[in-house]
Amino acid sequence: MARILIVEDDIHLQLLLKDELHEDGHEIITAANGREALDVLNGNRSERPDLIIMDVRMPKMDGLETMGYLLKSRQNTPVIIYSAYASYRHDVMAMAADAYVVKSHDITELKTKIHELLHV
Amino acid sequence: MSHNSIDVVILAGGRGERLYPLTKDRSKPAVPFGGMYRIIDFTLSNCVNSGLRRIYVLCQYKSHSLTRHIQRGWLPFFSSPMGEFIYTIPAQMRIGETWYEGTADAVFQNIYTLQQDMPESTLILSGDHIYQMNYRDMLAFHRHHQADVTIGSVAMPVETASQFGIIQVNADYEIEGFQEKPKRNPITLPHDPSHVLVSMGIYVFDTRVLMRRLIEDAKLKSSSHDFGKDIIPRMLKKYKVMAYPFSGITGNGYWRDIGTLDAYYAANMDLVSVTPQCNLYDPSWPIHTVYSPYPPAKMVFSGGENGKRIGTMLDSIICGGAIISGGRVERSIVSPNVRVNSYTEISESILMEGVEVGRNCRIKRTIIDKNVIIPSETIIGFNAEDDRRRFALSPDGIVVISKDTMFE
Repeated sequence: MARILIVEDDIHLQLLLKDELHEDGHEIITAANGREALDVLNGNRSERPDLIIMDVRMPKMDGLETMGYLLKSRQNTPVIIYSAYASYRHDVMAMAADAYVVKSHDITELKTKIHELLHV
Repeated sequence: MSHNSIDVVILAGGRGERLYPLTKDRSKPAVPFGGMYRIIDFTLSNCVNSGLRRIYVLCQYKSHSLTRHIQRGWLPFFSSPMGEFIYTIPAQMRIGETWYEGTADAVFQNIYTLQQDMPESTLILSGDHIYQMNYRDMLAFHRHHQADVTIGSVAMPVETASQFGIIQVNADYEIEGFQEKPKRNPITLPHDPSHVLVSMGIYVFDTRVLMRRLIEDAKLKSSSHDFGKDIIPRMLKKYKVMAYPFSGITGNGYWRDIGTLDAYYAANMDLVSVTPQCNLYDPSWPIHTVYSPYPPAKMVFSGGENGKRIGTMLDSIICGGAIISGGRVERSIVSPNVRVNSYTEISESILMEGVEVGRNCRIKRTIIDKNVIIPSETIIGFNAEDDRRRFALSPDGIVVISKDTMFE
């Protein structure tokens, strides 16, 4: 299966997603904010993810700013923005993502998007 | 933002390598032109005269001269309480850590600024063209055709096609393709085989479309991030891409890209012709600049003791503060505070601000940059070999004397 990077500052949600996606057979890497995510992406080539799930509101570097850096470095790893807020959808940097999913208790939509993006 | 709102983005980052040494200490848009102007004054005047007063000037290399010029000359035209502004923005490296890679990258790196304003349309202009244009006509055309993007275009004789980016249009001026500087078989206008349609490198975008295209382009490794080469060609078929046929304030379609020393020289020389193609004297379309309190220009000596000391000027432009003191100037541009001394003959030349020419000089087809002092008895422009040894020469043989030149 795929290697997925979860960028999420809420440790509980991070764990929940990790468990859920691990069950689906994915290998999971985590980062607590945009800066940590960039460290992963700029790190060892063999550990690069196939997909990124990106929260928006995070300390140090938020998800939209991180999107800017990803664009500029031409890291074309697919990104799903996963935010509790729908309103960031209109931000110019959200346009750079491949999908935008609003957080909810039911993660079916997120799983569907992951499946779609990994099987294009 | 309100309906019909427009932001203007002027790309003023050009290094202007082919204008060297005029661009040694300044960017291309800041190069003096026509005696009292800078090249960018034409684009800025077009904006102000078109009622467009929300302007971002994107600059990078050697931008100090340009920034100073805009602050001194242009700020008074803009009323902050009325929502008007002119901001010069150097490369901020906010997204990424590089200089601008191409015209589209320059706008992309300022995409947050556009997002804050969110104007309905964005007009993208170049800071190094000489022309007089009412942008409102192009905006009306853009809206009338409900285009996603409209490119300013101008008809040029088919013989010149190899110098330009050529646009292929249908009879309604919808764009079907491009040719980049075609050496042979240029695509001519649908009903006029003697003319090609040339891209002026100016664009009206629906802002949402612009943002989406900039983001998509930023993702592409293979892109050179240029509007003309990357963004627009990839929009054909999927978007409505129109060409606006420019004719200009005077209706003669005069438009010049000041790309080379020879183009620069020719556009200046146009101004001293009897009926210039670029009309600085049209009160309905003034070209503004920094207005400094220069005293009136003056010519003195109507013969002197020997009857030969005569200050004259023919077929020329003379600016405030200049004094022609017993010398003769023909078909030349004399900028503010220039001094030409007795028995000196100058023809077909451009003397920039503060230049002083001593006595008994003969100068022809020469561009002299600011504040250069030419000692008496100097001869320039009569012997190509001699000139080449001392100065820069354009391909057409125009001598260029750079700012810091010292004579012995």
